[in-house]
Amino acid sequence: MSVPPGLYTIRIRGRLGATALSAFPSLEPELRGSDTFLTGLLEDRSALFGVLAQIEALGLELIELRQIA
Amino acid sequence: MTRVPTRERGPYVPQQVRRGVSGARGLLERKDLLRLLDDGVSKRLTVISAPPGSGKTSLLRAWAGRSTNPARVAFVTIERDQQSEQRFWCAVLDAIRNPERPFDAAPPPAPIGLEVGQVIDDVRSEIAELVGPVVLIIDDLHELKSADALAQLESFLTTLPSSARVVLSSRRDPSIRLHHLRLADDVAEIRADDLRFTEHETRELLVGSAINLSDRGVAALHQRTEGWAAGLRLAAISLNGHPDPERFVAEFSGTDRAIGEYLMAEMLERQPSEVQTMLLRTSLVDRMNGELADLLAGRSDSERMLLALEEANAFVVSLDAQRTWFRCHQLLAEFLRLELRRTLAAEVPDLHRRAAGWLADHGDVVQAVRHLVAAGDWPDAARLVADHSFRWVLDGQAGTIHAVLLAFPEGASVDHPDLALAHAAAELNQGRLEEATAQLALAESHLYNAPPDRRQRLAVAVASLQLALARRSGQFSEVIDLVGLLDTSMADPSSEPSVMGSELRGVALLNIGIVETWSGRLVDAERHLSEGAALARTIDRPYLEVACRAHQGFPSKLISVTTARERAHQAVALAERYGLDDRPIIAPALGAIAGTAIWMGEFDEGERWLGRAWQVASAQVDPAAAVLLHQAAGMLHAGRGQKQSALEAFTEAANAQSLLTGVHFLAPRITGWLAATQARLGLREEALTTLAGFPADPQRMGSGAIDNAQAVICLTDGDPAAALAVLSESRAGATAFGPGFILIEAHLLASIAHLRLGDRNAASAAAEAALATAERDRVILPFAMVESAELLDLLLHHETAHRALLADVLNLVGGTGADREMLARAEALSPSERRVLGYLPTNLTRHEIAQELHVSINTVNTHIRNVYAKLGAQDRSAAVQRARQLRLLSSRLVPAPPN
Repeated sequence: MSVPPGLYTIRIRGRLGATALSAFPSLEPELRGSDTFLTGLLEDRSALFGVLAQIEALGLELIELRQIA
Repeated sequence: MTRVPTRERGPYVPQQVRRGVSGARGLLERKDLLRLLDDGVSKRLTVISAPPGSGKTSLLRAWAGRSTNPARVAFVTIERDQQSEQRFWCAVLDAIRNPERPFDAAPPPAPIGLEVGQVIDDVRSEIAELVGPVVLIIDDLHELKSADALAQLESFLTTLPSSARVVLSSRRDPSIRLHHLRLADDVAEIRADDLRFTEHETRELLVGSAINLSDRGVAALHQRTEGWAAGLRLAAISLNGHPDPERFVAEFSGTDRAIGEYLMAEMLERQPSEVQTMLLRTSLVDRMNGELADLLAGRSDSERMLLALEEANAFVVSLDAQRTWFRCHQLLAEFLRLELRRTLAAEVPDLHRRAAGWLADHGDVVQAVRHLVAAGDWPDAARLVADHSFRWVLDGQAGTIHAVLLAFPEGASVDHPDLALAHAAAELNQGRLEEATAQLALAESHLYNAPPDRRQRLAVAVASLQLALARRSGQFSEVIDLVGLLDTSMADPSSEPSVMGSELRGVALLNIGIVETWSGRLVDAERHLSEGAALARTIDRPYLEVACRAHQGFPSKLISVTTARERAHQAVALAERYGLDDRPIIAPALGAIAGTAIWMGEFDEGERWLGRAWQVASAQVDPAAAVLLHQAAGMLHAGRGQKQSALEAFTEAANAQSLLTGVHFLAPRITGWLAATQARLGLREEALTTLAGFPADPQRMGSGAIDNAQAVICLTDGDPAAALAVLSESRAGATAFGPGFILIEAHLLASIAHLRLGDRNAASAAAEAALATAERDRVILPFAMVESAELLDLLLHHETAHRALLADVLNLVGGTGADREMLARAEALSPSERRVLGYLPTNLTRHEIAQELHVSINTVNTHIRNVYAKLGAQDRSAAVQRARQLRLLSSRLVPAPPN
């Protein structure tokens, strides 16, 4: 059941400020167009769902989630 | 620092809360949505599923607060990260019982000794008893993290009383299977799109907040927020009193910042700096009153600020009618916590510590532990958990331990004996005995590393848990050392002066007493249980007191049968007074009453109490208590001459005994009666195997019961002389145990043997000895159990010094001769015939019975004919009446086997 560590990119609607970004310390932010891309190594499923829960809790709009490696 | 005194929480007045959540403070009454919800609750279930900030809670509160609601509304808000199914269902029950409670009020502590299944049943019956329709609203369902609770909710929804409606509100589609309800078109859904503000509503909202904005501005705001309720509310707060609203909207529309964060930052920015700081510093707690907020913010006027923020609708809401408790909107709280860590990071651990101290002082240990863990103070957190574990167990909140332990990182118990102890208590409570053993071993291995002042207490806690573990798994013989240790360490009350110490001691006394009871050391048990009950009363722990008393209804050398029965009744009365009479722990007292009634030949009375005992026993009753109840059922059947049923009950009792590692004090009797019943049913080989399987006890404890069974076998073998030889030791009283029951039985069997040898005088003497032994406690069951026509004949002409007793015996044994014969025939009913008999009291036709049983009508006709013949009945109603008299149709005496 465990997912091997993977490199993920998460696309969120809008530019995130310093406060919202501080919720994702392990991910590297990048602004493309008017969306924010968060990229980083997520250790396992819990780490991934932890990030998704944080996105939900902050009322951010998730557009895309992709494992790139 | 001045502290704002905590105000008493008074009754809730709906209108006041309505003022708090409706138009009066800038919230729009969304008529279309209210109507949508009205339509929704015409179905059994309404699911509201939408992301945070969509306006779910506001809608529900506005809807629930309307004065025109035809239905009674019960509103449950699930606490953050709720792991405990007990707490969840208690909150539901509380909301249904007290619809006037505040929406967000913390549920009262779960009642003592609580069974979740019982609470759910209570919820159902409360709903069923209400006159009008009920709408149960469960808000923030996504916070319910207990898989069990969700599964229970799922099955609750499928068996909902028809007068009830349920509304579930969640950030995500709940993980509850709804296809049955969906198929029946019983589900309404409200989703994010339905909750979006229309442009018209957007305008109404702004007008209601006295904000002047051009049509273009309104359109732009609506477009940018996409009708997202939180976004609009945040914007409205920032726009309120803004010098140039049009510019704000233009800037907001022009930015590509994520809108939630942008608007929250804007809103915070517009607050005075002291309000900002107060909001940031209090963001760590889920709910606060003025006192807690002052403590965290280092101010003395937080309550005033919070009230002002609520007035301004700035995402702070009060939770009670008196407006003393507050919380931030979860979205804003999340943002504030991030901002706090970003800007005031150095303060965070200390804020957690302060919050923990306050919460622990005010009884919210669960939250206190979470804050201590967050502050990194694991040892303190671990100690807090360990110190409260016993209390939680005693209050029936063992699930809380499990929930609190989740706050600790995995493997933390390796370094903390306190944590290992708490883990052990949690595992034990969930019946995972192996895991509990492992954690206990871990705790024990740490004892010597513990600071001296704590070591003693840890040792007592470890021993107490080991004892509880031994009790659960029936390792009666292995508790002696533990008892010694606990006895010495507890003998000196000065070593444990706190109430906590008393609780620990009370639990230990209970466990010792229970083990001693079941292993037949009734005199020691008496001492420990009496002390435990008295202590429980002093420290006000009703559950503990009832548990101790419930095990004191057994006769012993010191306690007569009459006294034991009286005590068992007192235990039940006590349990009733505390509302604990439906808990499994009371089963031994009910079983004891049933048993003594049956001994005294009051079979109907015994049957009634036994039925009640099985009702409370449920699946969680200790195997040792199950042994008692099965045995009582066996005695009842044997006394009524229902040998086949007696055989089944004694077999069940033997099976329950085999789950125990130690030997139950009833084990010899059960083995003996099982073998005797087998012999009387002609199962000689089985009877011998049963006796051979009983471990030889060098002290011959209770061996009289085994000897009696041997004698029964000899008698059925036609060898009365051998029977007398076997009985000689028992009859001399050398192995007498309990209140002479076995001795009476031995005399009666000897009497039968003498009769068969033609020695009527010796038979009379033996019968007289039986009557003399039975006189004190009027133990007349043995006379019925040996069931012998020749003995009855002897007794009918017997000259005795115990006339009254003999009359009772003859009344019981002799008066039901015709019944007995009929019973013997009724016992010959085949399983299929019994199944058909079960349908006779219904108004199903023979055709319908055939359909129910998936057999042909001819088969049913044959069975019914046989049933009539065996019951001596002419028609259906006579058969039913006869079957009822013979208790072939009475309520079950034993629960259906699991699976």
